[in-house]
Amino acid sequence: MAAIIEGIGLTKRFGFGDAAVVAIDSVDIHIEERELVMIMGDSGCGKTTLISLLGCILTPDSGELHIDGEEIDLNGQDLSLIRRQKIGFVFQLFHLLPYLTALENVMVAMDIAKTDTSEAENRAIELLTRVGLSDRLHHRPAQMSGGEKQRVSFARALANRPKVIFADEPTANLDSRQSDNLMNLIQELRQEHQTTVVIVTHHEGLKENADRIVYMKDGKVIAS
Amino acid sequence: MKSFFLKDMQYRRARVVLTAIGITVLISLILLLGGIMNGMRIQAQQYVKSTGADIWISAEGSGGAFIGFSLLIEENMAPLSASRELKEGSLSPLIFAQARPIIHGKSTKAIVVGYMRDKYGGPKQVPEDMGRMFEASEFQDYRPEDPIPLEVIVDEKMGLEIGEQITIGTDAVKVVGKTNSLMFVLDTPLIFMDVRVAQKVLLGNYPRVNMMIAKANENMEPEKVAAFFDASGDIEARTMNQTLDDIISYYVDEPMKAVQFLRVMLWIAAGLLVGVITYVTMLEKTQEIGVLKAIGASNNYVMSHLLKQVALISVVGVTLGFCLSYIFAAAAPIFVAINLVESIIVAGISIIVCCGSGYLAARKVIMVDPLIAFRGEIDGGMFRHSPTVAYSDA
Repeated sequence: MAAIIEGIGLTKRFGFGDAAVVAIDSVDIHIEERELVMIMGDSGCGKTTLISLLGCILTPDSGELHIDGEEIDLNGQDLSLIRRQKIGFVFQLFHLLPYLTALENVMVAMDIAKTDTSEAENRAIELLTRVGLSDRLHHRPAQMSGGEKQRVSFARALANRPKVIFADEPTANLDSRQSDNLMNLIQELRQEHQTTVVIVTHHEGLKENADRIVYMKDGKVIAS
Repeated sequence: MKSFFLKDMQYRRARVVLTAIGITVLISLILLLGGIMNGMRIQAQQYVKSTGADIWISAEGSGGAFIGFSLLIEENMAPLSASRELKEGSLSPLIFAQARPIIHGKSTKAIVVGYMRDKYGGPKQVPEDMGRMFEASEFQDYRPEDPIPLEVIVDEKMGLEIGEQITIGTDAVKVVGKTNSLMFVLDTPLIFMDVRVAQKVLLGNYPRVNMMIAKANENMEPEKVAAFFDASGDIEARTMNQTLDDIISYYVDEPMKAVQFLRVMLWIAAGLLVGVITYVTMLEKTQEIGVLKAIGASNNYVMSHLLKQVALISVVGVTLGFCLSYIFAAAAPIFVAINLVESIIVAGISIIVCCGSGYLAARKVIMVDPLIAFRGEIDGGMFRHSPTVAYSDA
């Protein structure tokens, strides 16, 4: 299988001078199409920083990034365009917009991508129905459980048919039953949508779901 | 999803309503103050224009009619009467002085206008059903010991009935007629009387007047006539337009400098109100903005939503302020003349000021780092913009 994402010599420092911290240190990483990769490691080892670099949220101090076979010009290209066309994000705290319903939260991602409203609505309903929330379309985040919110978050991440979904500790705020349900859903959705999924997690119990596990320590990939 | 920004506003409706109310009040005050100044300008010109005279003469050093202290003596008048520059018989003596008449036992502000009934300076007749003109004296052959009826014509808004008596100085004068709303600055009513009556009640029968007014000869330009008399060095002469400029400058523009300053301050306050509230709201929304950017929203997308909100609040606030100013004007105890065209311009500028300040606030906040989406908490709502921001975002 071809690499959907490839990082070569990625390095990221925070701070300046003596206070500078090397968060990611010359990391080489590649992720194959339709893989489910988990990035694991201790707190502060650079997991979130790595997916921020791979997801074009952060720009590295040095190194190269290739997404879907194309080298990303990190200082010249419109990175927001890459994010809305090729990448979906799922956050630990869901980050749904509190004033919008589940349906509207999914539609927002497509509104950003300038998708026609009726088309966006149909797709949002389809996705929310697929994640088991057809009876929660018009509920606001405050009216939903953590598991439901995370499923809305996944539906939003899938809205623009991304090549890769990055999920940052998606089960951290869910109980074990909700976590298992979510992982099953992720597996199903990955197959259905032919999407690559990269999950950052501490949760050892999720390992069995991964095709591959990337271990990190002190900003470096120590095993893959 | 066109109503995305509206739903956000609905969610934060308390703040939206308070901001709109703030703008409404500030804009209505700005327009009201402008209306007060307009009203003063109109009233300041009303009397001068109503006389029909185009030459205004006052004592040398007075600074012009209505401005400084002026008493004209017989020696000033003699050459004027014979002047070929003035329309024959148009020279009219005039007394124009502030007074505190006692009306219904209460001291009231008013301006006494003493003039000759068949000359320039006041109404030549009163409207039907509003009494009659005062008895005229013989100005030229007048002797102080001659009896003159102490009669006056008052403005209908003064609430006096025909036949009522009011006291000016130590003299009781009788109301014999009324005029239709001829006021001076700040709704000061005019009380018209014969020039000899004015000399009696104000000057203790001293046979002097404040000014002389006249009409320039038909084949002469008023500017040249005024300049000709002014050059004599014994008197000051102005055209009607110069006199109007003097009055507006002296009675409106100078005293209203503070009000003008206040209007500018209110504008700045309106801009700051929108800017600060937008900025504070944006700080609260920092994480939302970060999430939107993380899921692919460009800076332009976020900015357009923020600007739609700012523009809507500004337009609603300014429109309500526009309407409210007319309600305030109708209820104001003084004459307020809100100029529609000026108000529309002021409203337009106000919307630009409000939107501009909102834009500046939004521009600062949209630079938020989308990395914040991976963080659990916003640091007290004051998330600092990291130098690691994805600066290639459009």
